[in-house]
Amino acid sequence: MNNPQQDSTDVTRKTLPPDGKVNNAKFKINLFVLFPWFKKICKWRSIQFLLVFPTMVIFLFFLYAGLFGSRVGNRNIIVIFVWILWWFLLITFMVPFASRVWCFVCPFPFFGEWFQRGALIKVRVGKMLGLRNKMFGLNKRWPKFLTNIWLQNILFLAMCTFSAMFLTRPVVSVLILGGLFVAATFLSMIYRQRAFCMYVCPVSGFQGLYAMTSMIELRATDKEVCRKTCKTKNCLTGSEEGWACPWFQYMGKMERNNYCGLCMECVKSCPNDNISLNVRPFCGDTLIKGYDEAWKSFIMLALAMVYSVTLLGPFGTIKDWANVAETGNWKGFSIYAGIIWFTALVGIPFVWYLASRLGRFLSGTNEVSTKDIFIRYSYMLVPLGLLAWIAFSFPLIMINGSYIISIISDPLGWGWDLVGTAHVPWKPIFSQYTAHVQIPLLLLGLYFAIKRGYDISLTLYQNKSRAARSLIPVVVVCTAMILAFLKLFTG
Amino acid sequence: MKSKLMLICVMIVLVCAIVPLFVASSSGGETKEFYIKARQYAYEPAKITVNKGDEVHIKLASLDVIHGFFLEGYDIDAQIEPGVQGFKLRHPSEGREFADVNEIVFTAVHPGKFRFRCSHTCGTMHPFMQGEMIVNPNYPFLAGVGGAVGMLISAMVAMFVSGRKDKNLR
Repeated sequence: MNNPQQDSTDVTRKTLPPDGKVNNAKFKINLFVLFPWFKKICKWRSIQFLLVFPTMVIFLFFLYAGLFGSRVGNRNIIVIFVWILWWFLLITFMVPFASRVWCFVCPFPFFGEWFQRGALIKVRVGKMLGLRNKMFGLNKRWPKFLTNIWLQNILFLAMCTFSAMFLTRPVVSVLILGGLFVAATFLSMIYRQRAFCMYVCPVSGFQGLYAMTSMIELRATDKEVCRKTCKTKNCLTGSEEGWACPWFQYMGKMERNNYCGLCMECVKSCPNDNISLNVRPFCGDTLIKGYDEAWKSFIMLALAMVYSVTLLGPFGTIKDWANVAETGNWKGFSIYAGIIWFTALVGIPFVWYLASRLGRFLSGTNEVSTKDIFIRYSYMLVPLGLLAWIAFSFPLIMINGSYIISIISDPLGWGWDLVGTAHVPWKPIFSQYTAHVQIPLLLLGLYFAIKRGYDISLTLYQNKSRAARSLIPVVVVCTAMILAFLKLFTG
Repeated sequence: MKSKLMLICVMIVLVCAIVPLFVASSSGGETKEFYIKARQYAYEPAKITVNKGDEVHIKLASLDVIHGFFLEGYDIDAQIEPGVQGFKLRHPSEGREFADVNEIVFTAVHPGKFRFRCSHTCGTMHPFMQGEMIVNPNYPFLAGVGGAVGMLISAMVAMFVSGRKDKNLR
């Protein structure tokens, strides 16, 4: 089972490519070299606080608006700004182009981290738990059996089962977001560093998976410097310059974006100035390490399909099932929830397993196990799923974007007109062209799925022909999935 | 060799995406009538299909609260009150007020899939209340399917060629 806490220190041999190469990027540009002023900003101790604090204030205002503002979703800022604007920006721009940059400014761990550190900006030096920083709270270790992303998988699936409610009801949004906020604070008092972000936060789970595609990565410039020259490992243990990595990462071995929250503490604490912020090609990381990450890709794909059917489809009955709070149709809701959970946890994984078995058979050799084919090829669903989510999210903003303009003037739906835009009528923005945006996105997802799948197959097999034959069934499955999305969106 | 193979793959995808556009045909010019009933949060029928060139007549009714009927791509926005004969219609691009009408009449000139959605806040799920109008031949869909199938074929070709090359080297 994958252990994100050891992501940088324990790459399991079973799923590691023969050449040890887990990063697919052929060229990289170090932004810290290109823009030295940007590195200075990242090293500046106050930067995170200056960005998180406004986000925190806005977030608290959203909670207030959700509790005391209009009960109508499209007249309340929490629904429009979080589930339409933020979501669109997160999935379309932040994750693919800037990895987990959202985690850098996320307000959820604000109070918890403040409590742990006893400081908003400065670093406390001390000796505890093998770290060189002093931290408050119980500082317990996260239970070992939960050091994976299964909890995030289940929580995200559970949360999304009730999506029709929180997407349309401000109070339910408050319950979800406020609940996560309280949980983050509470868990920070008990467990070390960002245990909540690593193992609990449902948003963090899919961000980590899709951050593998991101065109940004934070890495050690020269890993040999970390391994041979660096004796202190400040990135992992902290120093007077920076906090120990809240995500438990050691830069000397960090190979993937999955569990790097881009907090920039390692940039501050590295005594060898050995950290780079690289621009790299899309889908740079290609190593799925365990079943938990593989299942995350299945869950995300299943949810993209379910959302597309429920929210973008014309199917009134399914909407009635999902909207149980209003219809009271618990039987329908049970069917709806059952379909979601079955598709995500059993249906798609089973099809993938069959394709993996068939692939192994077609390869004509037993040199690679079905398990390795199953896990490693599941990466193909990462670009495919991400692009499907982006294709799903574009219509949301094209159709409901005009609500953003009116909500700015009347964020609580109280009849205000702060900047004179409250009465801007609802008007879809070029919504008749959504298909023209969605089709290239889906095809791009398929292209990257096949391309990276082939790259992965070459790391699994010595023989190109065997590698290709092992890939055929999963490529067919990926194409079938894209055809299903095409039918839903444009057919 | 690699760039030649790449070119072949791109050509396969393009051909697969374009050929269906020439093959697909539909006989338009007929009159199609629909009676669409709106309720929280769906239309009945939820999907209507016409051919390019058809004259489309749509009558609307609401079964519960006030609903809207915004047909994307056709500059049509209607407001339907329950228990009232007829409904109100406007063309958003002309910026005029709603006028009382008994039916919407237009010619399906743009092929593809167009959604009609509620434009009058009607309840919690209002932003997701929508139906579909398919105007055949649905070129975007056909091109998309062709492109995906083309990608599958070109992937097979590329893998086959690369596998054979590997075999020859050995």
